[in-house]
Amino acid sequence: MTDRLAVEGVTVKFGGLLAVRDFSLRVAPGEIRGLIGPNGAGKTTVINAITGVVPLAAGRVLLDGDSVSGLPAHAISRRGIGRTFQHVEPFGELSVLDNVLVGVGRHAQVPMAHAAMATPLARRREGDAVREAMAALDRFELLTYRDTRAAELPFGVLKRMDLARALAANPKLLLLDEPTAGMSESEADRAIAAARGIAESHDITLLVIEHNMRVMMALAHSVTVMQNGAVIAEGTPAEMQRHRAVIDAYLGEEEAADAAA
Amino acid sequence: MTATLFLQLAIAGVSVGAIYALVALAIVLPFKASGVLNFGQGEIVTLGAYAALILTQLALPYPVVLVSILLLGAVGGIAIERVLIRPIVKAPEFTLVIATFAIGLLIKGAISIRFGDSPNTIDGPFGAEPIVAAGLRFNPTALWICACTALVTVLVIAFFRYTRLGKAMRAVSVSAEAATLMGIRVERVYRWSWAMSTAIGALAGLLVAPLIGVNPEIGQLILRGLLGAVIGGFTSVPGAIVGGVSVGLIETYSGVFVGTTFKNLVPFVLLMVLLVFRPQGLFGAAEIKRV
Amino acid sequence: MAAASRRNAIVAVAVAVLLAAAAATMSGYPVYLLSLAMINVIAAVGLNLLTGNSGQISLCHSSFMALGAYGSTLLTVRFGVPFWAAIPLGAVFAALLGALLGAPASRLRGIYLALATLGFLQIVQIVIEEFANVTGGVRGLTVPKPTIAGVRVSEYARFLIVLVACALAVWTARNLLASRVGREFDAVRLSPHAAQALGVSVHRVRLAAFALSAAYAGVAGGLQAVVVGFIDPVEFGVSASLRQITFIVVGGMGSVAGSVIGAAVLSALPEVLRPVKEYSDLIYTSILLGFLIFLPNGLVTLWHRATKRFTRGDPAPAPQGSAP
Repeated sequence: MTDRLAVEGVTVKFGGLLAVRDFSLRVAPGEIRGLIGPNGAGKTTVINAITGVVPLAAGRVLLDGDSVSGLPAHAISRRGIGRTFQHVEPFGELSVLDNVLVGVGRHAQVPMAHAAMATPLARRREGDAVREAMAALDRFELLTYRDTRAAELPFGVLKRMDLARALAANPKLLLLDEPTAGMSESEADRAIAAARGIAESHDITLLVIEHNMRVMMALAHSVTVMQNGAVIAEGTPAEMQRHRAVIDAYLGEEEAADAAA
Repeated sequence: MTATLFLQLAIAGVSVGAIYALVALAIVLPFKASGVLNFGQGEIVTLGAYAALILTQLALPYPVVLVSILLLGAVGGIAIERVLIRPIVKAPEFTLVIATFAIGLLIKGAISIRFGDSPNTIDGPFGAEPIVAAGLRFNPTALWICACTALVTVLVIAFFRYTRLGKAMRAVSVSAEAATLMGIRVERVYRWSWAMSTAIGALAGLLVAPLIGVNPEIGQLILRGLLGAVIGGFTSVPGAIVGGVSVGLIETYSGVFVGTTFKNLVPFVLLMVLLVFRPQGLFGAAEIKRV
Repeated sequence: MAAASRRNAIVAVAVAVLLAAAAATMSGYPVYLLSLAMINVIAAVGLNLLTGNSGQISLCHSSFMALGAYGSTLLTVRFGVPFWAAIPLGAVFAALLGALLGAPASRLRGIYLALATLGFLQIVQIVIEEFANVTGGVRGLTVPKPTIAGVRVSEYARFLIVLVACALAVWTARNLLASRVGREFDAVRLSPHAAQALGVSVHRVRLAAFALSAAYAGVAGGLQAVVVGFIDPVEFGVSASLRQITFIVVGGMGSVAGSVIGAAVLSALPEVLRPVKEYSDLIYTSILLGFLIFLPNGLVTLWHRATKRFTRGDPAPAPQGSAP
């Protein structure tokens, strides 16, 4: 069976700096893969590389066997790769509903002329879109924030919105960048349960960057560990918790934090 | 085209280009330091010309006029920075662009009201008798303009390389935050970059007045200055000079080859082409386009 | 949501009917001024979509008005196309050029975009002046009186046409902002990265905004030519563009109501300022600066603070908790 996501030998450079080095990864359809590593390991850059936000200095990215590397970012998204952001990147002035509607909009295409005249087609598509968006809001317990401007919301709620928004676009592969940051323990559990439920029922493959080990253990089928832009280990969450190199990488981070303190 | 004509045109082009170079430099300085592009710069030049008019009518000797204009320009720049720019320096780009445009229009409007649209003239410091040398005719005012521009260029480059304030300004143009951490008073840098900018702009007004007269439309020079700044790349002082002079030369030569109809179009078509294909110009930093 | 937009439609129709009735009783000059004000509204609505919603600065909006004015008038003068067909065609012409400019320009950042639009404006002005045998050059172009099937259109009928056009402009703009199109305009302004990640082509949206705003300007230009009876190229310079920017800054960027308020209020200004005409430009500019510094979100925010509504096309949707 073809991998849902195949990242082959990807290298990303910023100026002279190697942010990601010869990075490879394969995720099977329906799998939930975790991506962990100390700060600065290059995890978000990997996501940016897969989604076409940063150019690849080397390597390629395949979705269901088809190459997507080199396509513009919006085209990669339309092929079925969605993502959430570490800092949400909300449409601050828009309501939560409108934020999610932008996600839905991808398949609710209304031609401009129809939209301008509010034709029956336009109204029907908008109604469908709103229904879909409301369902997404409901799944993430966001209905009470429906009409609130995103800029006024606490970070944890925004992270849920980001999830709802990305999922509303119905991706085949969803890349989550620290989805539970800023959430309380129970909020995180419920959000992850909702995400997992949708992933399983809609056959969405997930690649999740997480610092919260509890969430990672509960959610991921397997985990890839990064350090300094490269993979240092891969396996089940349990195996990774005991893995020498992984422990060193995180311990190194702790020591550095202690030294700086 | 004979060699003489070619050279004569070159002289004309460089002379008018020297003015454009000064305007371009006046635009680049505060942009380099504070990221603010002063779309009202043209009106600073106009103010300089009118100040020259007034001072000349007071029968003051030329050196006094020159120095006064530089001082008035600098003071004016400090005032503008303090009163109009500082409240909006953190505002979105839209606000900065429109506000500087509006300030320019305000100045132009005030000048029109105070002085009317009737043209005025002042004489150049060395008279209008062309100097003939090596078979070529040189307009003394044009020579004077080139000399002043060359001097300003040298002084500004020396300023950036050798003075503390100049080095501070370079630091701020790279990163205001880093500069603050290094103990540089960023506000002071902004203030002086504006002072230099308006002083140079006002000087350009004084210099150009004998050539084109004193009227509210002098501000149109900003378009050529902007093109010069684009050619040079917005963050380079030598670039602004090279860019401005290039615009002068292009304008002068295209007048011969292209005819008046299209002669006026050439600078703007060039501007559009540059913005599309190479917005960083000759010497500018590369990251101009966005998502 | 449907209830709110139905309510708006009723208000809009009522206002239109009132205006039409009032105009029937007024003499020529106030009607003329009202027509010009409504033409300003159409232009402002277009500019707001581009600058307020899709976040792209433009100093050449008046150039698209010029293209619409000259385009429609030349179609009438040279090919006998009646005004009611010529004006839409002029708008199409303007929109095509808007797309042509937008294609490269919309990839540019802030000041470079401003420069590109400034360059475009200069090019249009020079072309108008230099090709005088076509455009009448600096002396301007006389516009033939509008006729329908050979019958001269009365001044009152002309007013009604402008009224209908203005109503359509406002209506279509509101519809657009309440739809995917408007959401994408705002999304692209607020966070291009998030928009991309959701499948929105930022460049295509920005280009569409350019073409769309040019179309509105083209309509406004064509109507203005017919109402005034004469095209004066001086009307399409940087000052004119800045005046339109003043409309949307004063009224409120990103909102159709803002465009209407700004254009309507400021259109009354030249009349009010009649006695001090030479100062009117100065006053306009001071108003612009004042709002930029002190009330950058425009008059419409005062209204919104009073009624706690959004600053986007439509008023807030139905209260929370109710069914969609």
